[in-house]
Amino acid sequence: MRSGRSEVKRRWGGASKLLPLLLLFPAVSFVLVLYLYPLFSSVIRSFTLGAQSPTFANYLKAWALYKKDILFTVEVALLGTFLSIVLGLALACYARISRSRAARFVNSLSRLTIFLPYVIVGQMMRSFLAPHGFLNVILANMKVIDLNSPIQFFNIRGLLLGFLWKEVPFVSFIVLSSLQVVDERYLEAARSVGAKTRHIVLSILIPMIKPAIIVGGVLTFCTIVSTFTLPYMLVTESPTMVTVDIAHRVTYFRDYGVANALGVFLYLLAAPMAIYYLRRMVGEEIYGY
Amino acid sequence: MGIRWQKPIFKALAIGLFVFIVVGPLSSVVLWSVAIKWYWPHVLPQEIGLAYWKQALGLQRDWAIAAVSIWDAFKNSMIVSIVATVITMALAIPAAYALAKLRLPLKAVFLLLFLMPKVFPQQPIFVNLLPVFTRWGLAGTLPGVMLIHILVCLLFGTWISTSAFKAIPESLEEAARSVGATRWQAFWRILMPLAAPGLLVSTVFVFVTSLTEFTGTFFLGLPFVTTLPMLLYSASGYNMQFASVLALVLLVPSLLFMVLTERIFRPEHLGSLGR
Repeated sequence: MRSGRSEVKRRWGGASKLLPLLLLFPAVSFVLVLYLYPLFSSVIRSFTLGAQSPTFANYLKAWALYKKDILFTVEVALLGTFLSIVLGLALACYARISRSRAARFVNSLSRLTIFLPYVIVGQMMRSFLAPHGFLNVILANMKVIDLNSPIQFFNIRGLLLGFLWKEVPFVSFIVLSSLQVVDERYLEAARSVGAKTRHIVLSILIPMIKPAIIVGGVLTFCTIVSTFTLPYMLVTESPTMVTVDIAHRVTYFRDYGVANALGVFLYLLAAPMAIYYLRRMVGEEIYGY
Repeated sequence: MGIRWQKPIFKALAIGLFVFIVVGPLSSVVLWSVAIKWYWPHVLPQEIGLAYWKQALGLQRDWAIAAVSIWDAFKNSMIVSIVATVITMALAIPAAYALAKLRLPLKAVFLLLFLMPKVFPQQPIFVNLLPVFTRWGLAGTLPGVMLIHILVCLLFGTWISTSAFKAIPESLEEAARSVGATRWQAFWRILMPLAAPGLLVSTVFVFVTSLTEFTGTFFLGLPFVTTLPMLLYSASGYNMQFASVLALVLLVPSLLFMVLTERIFRPEHLGSLGR
């Protein structure tokens, strides 16, 4: 026991330059083999067709076959991100400014959805939004719609609802934690000179928490672009999200070329946001959201 | 003048709509899980009962009820998640300690490596691992699915653990070392006890993430490895009741996690659970 201790002591003291690398080695090699290697091979395969390489054939085919879905993915991601930010911000500001019990209730209720995985959200939305599901039946009983022509949700509507269901509270959560830090005295001072709630939100709160809003938006955008589960479970019509096309291409045709071309497209779509986020996190060494 | 009473009404409507949108989908699966007969245009089920719950939990076997026992999938899920959690944390804690507390060459590169999977789509990775796993004989096996879960979880495990270590002031460890403690002693006697709550959050988070993991298991486990999320997915195609029961079963760990960690949970831990 004692000799073991002293050996450890010696090794830890003497090899202090090697120690961090030794500690990182297992995790890093795992990520290199199972993440970085397939990442590179996906890019290389996207430029490979049979013996041809490099070739753009896969990209041309992907664009010809899935142009509609590619544009649809961009549309859903932009719209979903925009709405998540607006609604999440509204929710957070409401929770911050109002001290009412209703505000607290709404806040803790929204917390609930952040933690649920998309596979459950997918099932919930499937049953809630079905042509004769809970929502349509309720609307029909309120005489808002006719059940013989129910609102169809297994398209962009349901997709946005499903994404917003989780992402609005997520953005609100991130933003609210920044808002809590804002000194109450700023708000009191503004109120005492007659500022309305709208002014307080627009000219005091939002500028102070801009970084949190951007991070919330970036993560929401990347999530919408990357998520396979929700569109796969929910969308029955065309167009659908690119992640679903990738699965389709691989499971039915074993066509890794086109699947990877679509994958590279998703990387590129996420890249501007992702690079911003990574620079910020790595630069400031924030171990955070 | 009109504005004075319009405002609270608008507010009440907005809150009501919000509550409906959050609670609606939840109550829909709760109702479906106990619905024996539910035909439109009825707002509520015409006949309710626990038949699907009983069948799913293996308490009865009735060929008229389209549900199977979930215990096989539950067992698979537990084995995969427990093994994946143990290995993930064994990899993540040393890495997190190095990232948080030690001087490191190329630190930015390492940080980048652990952050990338969070913002770049992971699905193409799974797709390209399929031929590799097939070659290695891992596709469609429990060890293969465990490896994928470790990959998905490692990011969160490392990240939350790093912030747990980072939160402990440098001065405490220095004080211990200045009175003669080795790095090893300082680690076990000072750092570990203080980091324990954060590491616990990290471990539970990893466990719940693994338990609800879908995409990786879908590409590399199916059709041979059925975990609870896979069972839910296949049920959702043919039977609303059974799928709803499964959704509620899978909801439990996430909810427990939320309740357990509400006090120590911070935004930076959030990452992207369940994606």
